Amino acid sequence: MRALIIERKLTRFAAARLASTFGTGRGAGLGPLRLTDREAPRDPGANWYGVTPLLSGICGSDLATVDGRSSQYFEHLVSFPFIPGHEVVAVMNEDGVDAHGRPLTKGTRVVIQPVLGCAARGLPLCPACEAGDVGRCQHLTAGHIRAGLQTGYCADTGGGWCEGPMQAHASQLYEVPETLSNDDAVMVEPMACALHAALRGSYDQASVVAVVGAGTLGLGVIAAINFLDSTNRRPRPRRVVVGARYLAQQRIARLLGANDVVPGDQLIRAVRTATHSMVVGRPNGSTPQLAGGADVVYDCVGSASSLAESLQLVAPGGQIVMVGMPGKASVDLAPLWQREVELVGAYAYGSEHFGEETAATFDLAIEMAGTMELGRLVTAHYPIERFEEAIAHAGMAGPRGAVKIVFEPGRKKASTQEGGPR
Amino acid sequence: MKARFPITKPTWPNNVPRPNPKRNVGLDYDTAWARRYPARLARAIFTDFISAPLVDLVAPTTIVGADALSRLEGPVIFAANHNSHADTAVLLKAIPQHLRHKVVVAAASDFFFDSTTKATVMSLILGAIPIERSKVNRRSAETALQLLDEGWSVIIYPEGGRSPDGWMHDFKGGAAYLSVRAGAPVVPVFIDGTDKVLPKSRVEPGVAPGGSGSEDRLGAKLRRHPVSVTFGRPLRPSEDTDARRFGGVIEDAVAQLGREVASDYYQARRHVEPSLTYGPPAAAWRRAWARPPAIKVSERVPRDSWPTTRF
Amino acid sequence: MSPRPGFVLEVDRSTPPTLLWHGEAFKLQKLPLGTRVVYAPEPFAALEDPESAIRAALENPEGDQKPLSALLHADMKLTICFDDISLPLPPMAAPDVRQMVIEAVLDQAAEAGVDDVVLIAALALHRRMTEPELRHALGNRVYDAFAPFGKLLQHDAEDPDNLLYIGKTDHGEDVEINKRAAESDLLVYVNINLVSMDGGHKSVATGLASYKSLRHHHNPKTMRHSKSFMDAPASELHSANWRMGRLIKESGVNIFQIETTLNTDTFPENFKFLQKREWEWNLRDRITFAGASKALDAAPHKMARNILQGIKSPHALRTVHAGEVEAVHQKIVAEVWEQQGVAVEGQTDIVTMGLPYICPYNVNSIMNPILVACLGLGYFFNSYRGAPVVRKGGVAILFHPTRPEFHPGHHPSYIDFFEQVLPETTDPTVMHEQFEEAYATDPWYIHLYRTGHAYHGVHPFYMWYWISHALEHLDKVIIVGGDPATVRRLGFHPATTLDDALEIAKDTVGPSPTITHLHTPPLLMADVTP
Repeated sequence: MRALIIERKLTRFAAARLASTFGTGRGAGLGPLRLTDREAPRDPGANWYGVTPLLSGICGSDLATVDGRSSQYFEHLVSFPFIPGHEVVAVMNEDGVDAHGRPLTKGTRVVIQPVLGCAARGLPLCPACEAGDVGRCQHLTAGHIRAGLQTGYCADTGGGWCEGPMQAHASQLYEVPETLSNDDAVMVEPMACALHAALRGSYDQASVVAVVGAGTLGLGVIAAINFLDSTNRRPRPRRVVVGARYLAQQRIARLLGANDVVPGDQLIRAVRTATHSMVVGRPNGSTPQLAGGADVVYDCVGSASSLAESLQLVAPGGQIVMVGMPGKASVDLAPLWQREVELVGAYAYGSEHFGEETAATFDLAIEMAGTMELGRLVTAHYPIERFEEAIAHAGMAGPRGAVKIVFEPGRKKASTQEGGPR
Repeated sequence: MKARFPITKPTWPNNVPRPNPKRNVGLDYDTAWARRYPARLARAIFTDFISAPLVDLVAPTTIVGADALSRLEGPVIFAANHNSHADTAVLLKAIPQHLRHKVVVAAASDFFFDSTTKATVMSLILGAIPIERSKVNRRSAETALQLLDEGWSVIIYPEGGRSPDGWMHDFKGGAAYLSVRAGAPVVPVFIDGTDKVLPKSRVEPGVAPGGSGSEDRLGAKLRRHPVSVTFGRPLRPSEDTDARRFGGVIEDAVAQLGREVASDYYQARRHVEPSLTYGPPAAAWRRAWARPPAIKVSERVPRDSWPTTRF
Repeated sequence: MSPRPGFVLEVDRSTPPTLLWHGEAFKLQKLPLGTRVVYAPEPFAALEDPESAIRAALENPEGDQKPLSALLHADMKLTICFDDISLPLPPMAAPDVRQMVIEAVLDQAAEAGVDDVVLIAALALHRRMTEPELRHALGNRVYDAFAPFGKLLQHDAEDPDNLLYIGKTDHGEDVEINKRAAESDLLVYVNINLVSMDGGHKSVATGLASYKSLRHHHNPKTMRHSKSFMDAPASELHSANWRMGRLIKESGVNIFQIETTLNTDTFPENFKFLQKREWEWNLRDRITFAGASKALDAAPHKMARNILQGIKSPHALRTVHAGEVEAVHQKIVAEVWEQQGVAVEGQTDIVTMGLPYICPYNVNSIMNPILVACLGLGYFFNSYRGAPVVRKGGVAILFHPTRPEFHPGHHPSYIDFFEQVLPETTDPTVMHEQFEEAYATDPWYIHLYRTGHAYHGVHPFYMWYWISHALEHLDKVIIVGGDPATVRRLGFHPATTLDDALEIAKDTVGPSPTITHLHTPPLLMADVTP
């Protein structure tokens, strides 16, 4: 089958890193990612099923890997060579069982929850997997498949960026209802991340929430806040203030229910006005620090400067939720200490609890993607043969007015809806 | 690599008694080194080539009465009124060449000699010697007398400090005492306008809401303003002159110079007839109000032929 | 030769193009045939001996008030209040009128032996003045005698310890003013009457008031009922201030009001062409116009702004009266009209005006879009008596680049007003109900007003209320040459040229509208007979 693979070739990683200094995604041509013909991954065993990807999204972490910019931390959590692609909607090639134990027939559409937890690895459940928090699994490198934190980073499972088939374990499969389009379904995984991240922040009705960065994750967090309120699971905060660099993102953020959407450089001013906060230092100085600030700040960018900006915006005793995947960052932690700020990581998904209700994040995300028609955020479809353009488009999504770029393996030509959802 | 003994100073063991360290500040500071030739040369160069041009730039000086000094050989005691830190620089420029480079300045020990570094700098560039503000300290008096014996002239500000409002305050007795003991003549000097060049900062720091907006500016601001230095006739004490009475004579002489300076520019519309040197006994604003302008400065700005650009 | 009165020119084929201000530049624009252009009266001569005139005024007071010398005695508490940097416009060449008047007053105070004297800049909710600005207004002598001793203050409307609640007027309006001023034995107010809205009871009742007091008349309702606020009998703003002023007087505050008018000799030598009629420009005027306008166009925007803000106007003291507030003010207002009034017959469909770089609220600062609207639709639109020069339901066409730029130190709340309030609503009543309170009580704005040099948080709202009458009266407002997004944000229509603007106006006023153009500055007041 034709597939994109990432191989462990250090010179290529270095070349990609260099190329990506000219722009995110430029590492695609030179880097460790390449198109090959290879055999489909073998069935790892019981409860593993072959599925053929219909659509597979390109995520920020994929771009970082392709550009050779992933943190070294992940080095031991992946096994080479692997086929990337962890945001997958696929069809079952055989009958099987889903994560809830319900039967799946051949030809049914499924979304894949990519975390390879204890169940997928054939191990007794660790405490996290027992509790349903599969994102916190403690056995990512053991079991009868090789190391890999997710499908799309593991040599044994395959990934979404191929013509298929790939292998998925029962614990990873969630059936896609008829009412969701393929585009809606491919958004489920990123929206699950966003939903889980939104719930990691402890906001209530009186809070002011700031969102730094309005890419897929940022817009997803805004949508999640809206969704949780409209389905009576958690009331929305008093005000959601969003800093969005590009006009297309600003428009979508408003549609998704943000209260104040401003260009990125005005976020601090907008949070100050929303919270009536004082400012420390000179009022027209270059780096104003709010004396008050937002109760919860979602950093959906994941860079050193976005973290520094979050520290400028967050109220004393507030929370910064790191949604976007960061790398090594050099940040002055004095404000974090002095203002008693909680810095909280938000990764993947698990189980969410609302009073008596407990639900898997993925189930909530499926509900959200369907009712809010989040498939509108998918801006372009590319065949895997045109992977350099696809990656470049994803890297430049903001300025090009795009949100999510996906691969549609088996497609012959690219199709784009420029300008985002109608 | 951390430096250790013998590169750094040794630490003193606990069980060995340690004598009190000799503090080289204040009245104890020894300024003799500053009067040796290398330091004198450096000071002369500084005074003539750095300080004097700076004074020309910032405080263009009119010198009156210097001819009374031309036939005077040292040593001389200059007794001047004091309004600003700029007084000494201006005075050093005004004093005639033949006396200028063998001059020491009596400076307040609590301000100019409060740290060793500051003391060193002041001795070097000004030729300062430490004295106490309000009374005659035995040690500094002896130093001064010895210097006068050696031919050094002394600049002394008998008010004991800078005047806060531009008017002259009472003179202390130091200049008279030195003159009587050493037999050196006293030249009274009136320096006018330096309080506009480098004003004594009179304002508490910190922003007061509702205040005029300049309160948060600490310290003085240097501003260009013309200055005048008026020398009076030398006063010589006779054998049996009483130092206290002589002090009064010196004070009157400086005050008289002040009156001369002021009366040239006194404008008729001041209804209050102030004591021209001492100022009216009244609230601060009225004392400031009654001060005539030192040098006639035109207040009307000429009509612009092209508006000045400010970038 | 006595100065010629203002007059109305009707544009015909031989009329040369008209000079128009356009922010930090000026242009020559050919106006359509039949446009009537209102020209300001020529400036009266300034007083030969202003100091003597001032002293005479102090000794010969108007109305029921004693001469100043009789009011001063040694043990009294004297407070001298003066107008802030909003006046005069452009700033006056030294010596400023305030300097001359205050020096005269202080000479008398010194003679009487008054020790307890405090000077207060009556800013209301305007920004504090900087040291150079105070030195310019008061002169070095006054500044140096008071500021270093903490006796030169700037009114702080947010200082609860320094406000005195006087009472309520019979219309239920709270009156609260500066405590030091209220508790003085004598309050001397030094005023400059640039336009007829200034002065009278407004000096103390507004200049020394708090937000609690001001909101009773600085609101959309009052401004809509002030047609116009320059015309006292028709102005609700005026009535409110008069009620408050009389209450202050009844409560025992003895006010010695000194009001002055200036002639309208507004521009220095090299810019004299700005106040001359175009057909009377000589060679020198034409050369300086060409040079100045090219230089300003070529210079970087910031430099052009600094050049113009540095202009010091030669306008000088023309009349001065002192004594009891209402008696003084009556004479002064008549003199303002004498200098600035122009008889205009009838109204037209359209009014056009070029807006200069300066208004009362951006001296030494940046003119932001809200101030552009205030200057054009607030001040210039309302400079009339009788009826506006444009008919009800007509169109106003303004000329200004309207850049979205703000001075973050002087106008911080304006930035938020522009970004947060205007996109939501441009209706003064709606913003008054929904947003004003939050801005008026925001602790950061209050902090910047009290300790920095910022206008009070609520001030942009007052600017917008100033245009309430115009918004109600006009059907459309078009800004020529303005930044399109910004102009739309203000709720107006952008146009590139005058022809485009007339095209846009066609829907309202038809294809051949009548047009009045106000050739101002120099300042003029239209005396309209409908």
